[in-house]
This record gives sequence, C-alpha cells and structure tokens, in this order.
Amino acid sequence: MQVLVVGLIAGSIYALIALGIALVYKATRVLNFAQAEIGTGTLYFTWWLCTRHHLPWIVGALASIAAATAIGLVFEALVIRKMMTAPRVTVTVATIGLFSFVLALELAFFAGTIYLVPPPIHPGGVRIGGVFVSWSQWLALGVVGLVALGLAAFLRYTDFGLAVQASADDPVAAQLMGTPRARISAFTWGMAGALSALAVLLIEPTVGVLSPGAFNGLFIGGLTAALVGGLNSLPGAFIGGLAVGVVEAEVKAHLSFNVIPSSNVTAMLVIVLGVLLLRPQGLLGATAGRRA
Amino acid sequence: MSAALLEVRGLRAGFGAQTILHGVDLDVPEGKVVGIFGLNGAGKSVLLKVIAGVVPAWSGSVCLAGEDVTRTSPERRVQRGMAHVPQGRQVFGSLTVEQNLRVGAYALRRRDKSRYDERLAQVYETFPKLAERRRQPAVTLSGGEQAMLAVGRALIGDPKIVLIDEPSAGLAPSVVEDLLGVLLAVRSLGLTMLLVEQNIRFGLRLSDSACLLQRGRVVYSGDTASLDQERLGTYLGVGRLLADDLTKGLGAKSTQPRRASRRKAATVSST
Ligand SMILES: Nc1ncnc2c1ncn2[C@@H]1O[C@H](COP(=O)(O)OP(=O)(O)OP(=O)(O)O)[C@@H](O)[C@H]1O
Ligand SMILES: [Mg+2]
Repeated sequence: MQVLVVGLIAGSIYALIALGIALVYKATRVLNFAQAEIGTGTLYFTWWLCTRHHLPWIVGALASIAAATAIGLVFEALVIRKMMTAPRVTVTVATIGLFSFVLALELAFFAGTIYLVPPPIHPGGVRIGGVFVSWSQWLALGVVGLVALGLAAFLRYTDFGLAVQASADDPVAAQLMGTPRARISAFTWGMAGALSALAVLLIEPTVGVLSPGAFNGLFIGGLTAALVGGLNSLPGAFIGGLAVGVVEAEVKAHLSFNVIPSSNVTAMLVIVLGVLLLRPQGLLGATAGRRA
Repeated sequence: MSAALLEVRGLRAGFGAQTILHGVDLDVPEGKVVGIFGLNGAGKSVLLKVIAGVVPAWSGSVCLAGEDVTRTSPERRVQRGMAHVPQGRQVFGSLTVEQNLRVGAYALRRRDKSRYDERLAQVYETFPKLAERRRQPAVTLSGGEQAMLAVGRALIGDPKIVLIDEPSAGLAPSVVEDLLGVLLAVRSLGLTMLLVEQNIRFGLRLSDSACLLQRGRVVYSGDTASLDQERLGTYLGVGRLLADDLTKGLGAKSTQPRRASRRKAATVSST
C-alpha cells in the first residue's frame, strides 16, 4: 500500500513529463530530450525569487512556468520553424542541443552549490492507510490531475484543440482546412515548456535539492512512460507515467541498492525493452503508421 | 473585363533546381467548373498546392476574387473562400467524422457559429452515411466514406471555390457514381470548382472547361465541348477509339444517362 501510494505520486509527475514528450512527438514526430531540463533551468528563477526576494512560492512557481513557456516558444520560433522540412532525427538532435544549452547555463551560473527551494506549502501532511503523504505531494497529485483533465478537455472540446490534433495527424491537410499552423506549433512547444516547469516544481519538494541536471531521472521516467503509452497517445502517456512510478517504487522496495546498482533505472530499461518487444506501438499507441 | 474568381498568371514553381510548373495561366470563372487533366507527374497536384499556398510560387501570381494572394498563407486563403479536397483525401484519422467536419469549418466557426450548425445539418443531409458515423474515428471509414468526408469537410465552410484533387481515385465504380452525383448536384447550385481528375470520363462530365497540362505547361485550355479527340489522344495518352468515345455527347453531358458506357471509363481502379 505504502509502495503503491509513493509510486503513484512519483508516477503522476512522470506523467506530466510524458505528456509533454507525447504532445511534441504527436505534433512533430520529434523526441524532445530537453523535456525535463527546461523546467530544471527555470526552477532557479523560483529559487532566486523565493529566497533572495522572499516572495511567496506561488510567485516563483508562476515565474518558472512563464520562463519555461518562453523557452519553448523561442526554441520553436528560432529552431523548429526553420526545420519544418528537416529530417526528424535532425530536429531531435536540436532538442539535445537545447538540453545541453540549458544545462550549460545552469553549470555556468550555479555549479558547485546545492540550492534549496522553499516548499510550496507547509511541511507536514496526513497519514492515510498507514502511509504518510505530505501536503506537497497532495498538491502534486491534485495539480497533475487538473492539468491532465484540462489539457484533455481543451484538445477535445475547443476548435483550437481539435486543430492541434488535426495538425498532429496531418499538418499540411490541417493547414488546407484553414487552421493556423504557426500558432499550433507555437502552442505545442510553449505547452511542452510549461509542463516541464510544472513537473520539476512539483517533484522538487520530494527530491529536496536543486543542482544542475538534478532531475535527469525525471526525464528517464517520463520517457519510459511515454514509450509505454505509445509516444503519440496522451492518455497512454498519463497511464504510462503512473505505471512507471509504481513499478519503480516496487523495485526500490524489494531490491536493495546493493543487489543491483541503480535498480530503478535498470527497471525502466527493462520496461522499455519489454514494451518495445511485445507491443512496439505502446499500450495505447495508434497501430496505423503515419501517412506520408 | 469581368475578372475570373480565380486567376493564375505565369505561375512558375518547383523543388530545388527542378522546375515543375513553367508559367501556367488559368482562369476559373465564378460558377464554373474547370477540369485540369494531364498524365501522372504533369504537375497537376503541384499546381493546386501552389494555388493553395502550401508550395511557394517562384514567380507569377494567384488572384482570388480580385485579390492577389500569391504571398498569403494557406489559412488566409481559406478565410478568403478557398477550400480543398487534397489528393489522397487526408481525413484526420484519429478524429471522429464530426470533428473532421468541425476542423473543416475552422474559419467559418470563427466568423459565424450558428451558420456552422446549419451547414453541418446540410452536409449530413447530403451525406447520410456521415451522419450515421458521426462519432466514429475517420480512420475506420471505408474509402468511399472517406471521400465523402473529404468533400463534406471542404463544402462545410461555405467556400467560394473548391480545389479538388482526384476525388475518384481508388474508388469502386458504384462509389464513383455516387460521388459524381453529389458533385453534379453541388455544381448545379453554382459552386465554383477546380478539379483534377485521372478518370477523364468523370472529369469531363463535371467540367465546363478543360485545361490540359503537359510537363508543367498548359497545352490546351477551353471548352470541354470543343475538346477534340486529337488533343485527348495526344496529351492524355488515351487511345484514339476511347478518345472518340469520350468526346462524343459531351455537349449533352448533363442529360446523358449516367451509366452510359461506364465500362470503358479511362481509369477506374477498384479498391
Ligand atoms: N515535394 C516534392 N518534392 C520534390 N518533387 C516533387 C514534390 N512534389 C511533387 N514533385 C514532383 O513534381 C512533379 C509533378 O508532381 P505532381 O504531384 O504535381 O503530379 P500530378 O500531375 O499530380 O500526378 P498524379 O496524377 O500522379 O497525381 C513530379 O515529377 C513529382 O515528382
Ligand atoms: Mg496528383
């Protein structure tokens, strides 16, 4: 039970990263390797505003989300739009470039020191069924649920959301129907940035420290989740995130660190291999290939 | 001079160093249907894409309702009244039938939401099959139903002109006949169309005038009625006998029974 709850909480945050990865992949067939690093970089804003300027956590959090959204938008305008017809592998490499760039900035300004970001809400929590769940973790669960539902509703019920989905199916045909291609692309990358910041903000209280690249594990978990879910399915990414969180918690609980080093990462690799072997399109991924 | 609804002048376009369109002129008058015919690779689809704005024009111009749209984005052209049935139909497979139609009405819904409800009802009336399958993902539709959806999705936005690229390709003969019936009905309402067709019989039945394209150049343009068998034979590579058969009765095409000599249709591929 304890393990299940811990797993679901971590998993919900993997789900946020996985949602960002799947959204971008669906829209552009590009794997965004910077999906967790964008938010790690902008978390320094939160730290700076909250500790240096003593502003409330929510202000720092919103600043981080705004900055991450801006990074997504700028990257889209400067790189993605120029590479519309480039091979997808090339664009994927460009996201590795973004990852390295953000990491390099973190290292340049903040290397060598571990920073502490104040917690979003009072420390403490409640015990349910013998499991202690901190307020921060409740917050994470609530926010992730709301964001996932909100995003799903937006994509399904608004004209722009449907246009985003249509564009993911076939960008040229969507444009021929009169949907705004440039704005759809900007939305995708801006949203990816925002989801990245949100995930890092929500997992930070559990990890406890901020240092350059501190949340690489978040990316590995999110990527595993997205692969499990099928890469182009948002519900798949979400469920994949929860599943990966639970499996990771189980592995951590049952295998001591000494038996297999980094047992959780190993477990994720096993999951990825298993999914790719048994069901390459993922649990909820579309089976049909994409039309040319 | 009364300008045509769509005017294409000296259009040149291509990819990299390769020129595909070598100065194409084309007029589509309001209320008329113009058919573009030509062999595979003649540049018919590229011409439609340049007119749509998804392939850039190197030089020349495209005017829609008197307005130069040569450098306008595809979505703006749609807002100005262009609609498309792309080659291969390209319905949005993961969206439902109704969501596809809603995306087709993207510009209309921003102008006038209540008009959309009317149009949706009209499309469902024209294509009862689509109404039946409104909640079904488009990927689950048959080829014929997808063709209907692609046409409905183009018509729903109240366009001034519809650009249609090979609507009959890959459809069984009976479905082709259904589609022809729908398009003839739409034509009789006065909708302007620019049509590309491999199925020459189908195309000639619908078109008021024809434009023959050969390796990116217009080699004939004028009335379908005065299209002679020589030209069809030379430029489309159809046999003389067939060309003879095709040009016969063109003048009376709307009263001619639909099923006449369907067996000999130039290209009817089955699904
Ligand atoms: N994106 C592209 N890049 C490079 N060349 C292209 C591209 N699209 C089309 N072409 C070339 O342009 C030429 C004309 O193609 P187009 O699709 O217009 O032919 P078409 O007349 O529509 O033929 P079909 O009847 O087979 O559809 C072809 O030689 C094709 O290879
Ligand atoms: Mg073509």
